[in-house]
Amino acid sequence: MLDVVREVQIPLLAALLIGGCAAKARRAISERSIEAGTGPTAMFPLRLRRPVAIAMCASELALGIGLIVTAGSFGAGRLALAVRLATALLFCTAVCALNELRTRRPDAGCGCFGELSDTPVSWQTITRAALLCVAALSPIGVRPLHMPGSPGQAAVVLAATAAELAALAALSPEVGELLVRLSNAEPCELRRVPVARTLAALRASSPWRRYSPYLISVTPSDMWREGCWRFVVFPGVLASRRVDVVFAVYLADRRGPVRAGVLDVGATPPRHAPLQISNHVLEKHNT
Amino acid sequence: MQRKERLYAGYGDMPELQIPAQYARRALLRAAVFDTCGQEAAPTSASTVLTGVLTGVSRHSIAVHGGAGEQVLSLTPATVVWLGTQVTPSALRVGDLVIIRHQPRRAGADGPAPAVAERIWARIGRASGTIVAAEGRAEPEFLVDVGRQGGAERVVVAGASLRRIQVRFPRLAPGYLIDVIGTRHRGYLLAVAPATAQPPYRAGQPPAPPRSVGRLADPISGTAVWHEPVDEPADLLGLAYPELDPETHPETDYRAAGHARAVADHGCVRLPYLSLGSTVRVRNECTHRAVVLPVTSRGVIARQFCDRCLACGTSPKGRVADLTMAAFVELGGNLEDGCFNATLGLADWN
Repeated sequence: MLDVVREVQIPLLAALLIGGCAAKARRAISERSIEAGTGPTAMFPLRLRRPVAIAMCASELALGIGLIVTAGSFGAGRLALAVRLATALLFCTAVCALNELRTRRPDAGCGCFGELSDTPVSWQTITRAALLCVAALSPIGVRPLHMPGSPGQAAVVLAATAAELAALAALSPEVGELLVRLSNAEPCELRRVPVARTLAALRASSPWRRYSPYLISVTPSDMWREGCWRFVVFPGVLASRRVDVVFAVYLADRRGPVRAGVLDVGATPPRHAPLQISNHVLEKHNT
Repeated sequence: MQRKERLYAGYGDMPELQIPAQYARRALLRAAVFDTCGQEAAPTSASTVLTGVLTGVSRHSIAVHGGAGEQVLSLTPATVVWLGTQVTPSALRVGDLVIIRHQPRRAGADGPAPAVAERIWARIGRASGTIVAAEGRAEPEFLVDVGRQGGAERVVVAGASLRRIQVRFPRLAPGYLIDVIGTRHRGYLLAVAPATAQPPYRAGQPPAPPRSVGRLADPISGTAVWHEPVDEPADLLGLAYPELDPETHPETDYRAAGHARAVADHGCVRLPYLSLGSTVRVRNECTHRAVVLPVTSRGVIARQFCDRCLACGTSPKGRVADLTMAAFVELGGNLEDGCFNATLGLADWN
């Protein structure tokens, strides 16, 4: 069982290293800056940040590939030992660097997985690096990897992999960030909604049918948005008085609720209670 | 371009301030639809802040001419005075523009006693924007586009402060962002301290904010900063909001301005779309003071900075409010710090 856990570390570490390098490269391409957001590079002088960032990324890629190449019988022995020791050294350095980064730049993320790692460095991130350091040391001396010999062995490998991934996920702020990015349901407050769609929804509503006979113009005199609501104001005449008819259209869906109110044009707010003005409101209507 | 819109400092001050009544009236129209009677109202004026021109100073008192005429405040040994650095009150000069945080007035036997000044900032200024030109090495000068009409602002970095600023702003070159605090002089700002750390990207290329799903977090956490009242009343309580609705404020349509869609629709932090005249509740998480403030201008520069505030702990990334100086001080912020950790709350009916 222990041997299985030790063997599992090699592909896991290789995947994490190559994934980390790919995420950093993706960020570097999207931000057109290799050193952007690569965590511990923020502690280096400006002229060194770029080479350090490149060195970090390249060493991750090299060690990831090295772990895979030396996992089997090829390179078993000294080469495999060197790669695994170098991997452990990388994670050990990461523990120290993250701890230092947390002290000196508490606002900086670790940058381990590119833009997913913008959360400030916490003890979880440092613990994760320490865990990976131990994981890198554990396969030293294991025999070359081979396919599981029986379904029972395969189940043990899968269970060990799942347990370790769960532990890493619990220590990774990137998981939550990734889930958020994979989802498409954006809150309505953040959704850009064209004015034309708002006006179409308004004109199909019952408050519009009720108040449109009182409007003296169908061109809005004012329009503004507050979160999920867009307000549209029209000039009107009600009971021989000039009024503003205001509609509030809910933007969350195409047939969302519409509310309406009528306000005297001459209504001015009291000096010390700006929001308590219900005495000037002539009428409210909700759907 | 950021065009500062004058809005209400309080409805009662509307005629004096010549503000666009259209935006002030929005609160009335909103209340015609939604029941806002139980909600906290925006204060008409600051209760602990005084802004104006210094007309006299002695060891024990200071006289300031502000919007409400001349006022005298007491000085104590605990009063902190800032003029580029911490100084004694004797360093202040008549004619200096000052902003003062004071303790609330207490009634005495012969009427209200003079308020006690806690902190005084004299000639303080801030340049936050994009460097458009730079020259000089020992005492460099910059032209900074601060997002307002009227051209770029001239910023001179004091030689003694250069190293301190360069540590936080290593790229003092055109195209990069700068945010410095200093003292106002005739025609320029003498920068003495960095207000934040320089973002690693060029101006206009902030990273896309993470996507939000489900319900929007309320309140929203981030950084609150301050700006100078260039074409606003000095004592205005309000904020420049980074995320005005681009459909009804076309000048804030960054898609049309050619920005990448990912960052055009939202700045560095995902904020709900609001408009001029909307109100939000801003809370200083360091002092636990909160106040309802109206959106009075566009936070064009604030949406460019993906920075954090370290005033008390580490804030989430991004500026959620660019407060007027009076609002920042009223909420307990220290102007020389540049920011405080803040949360932004929306109206209950939203």
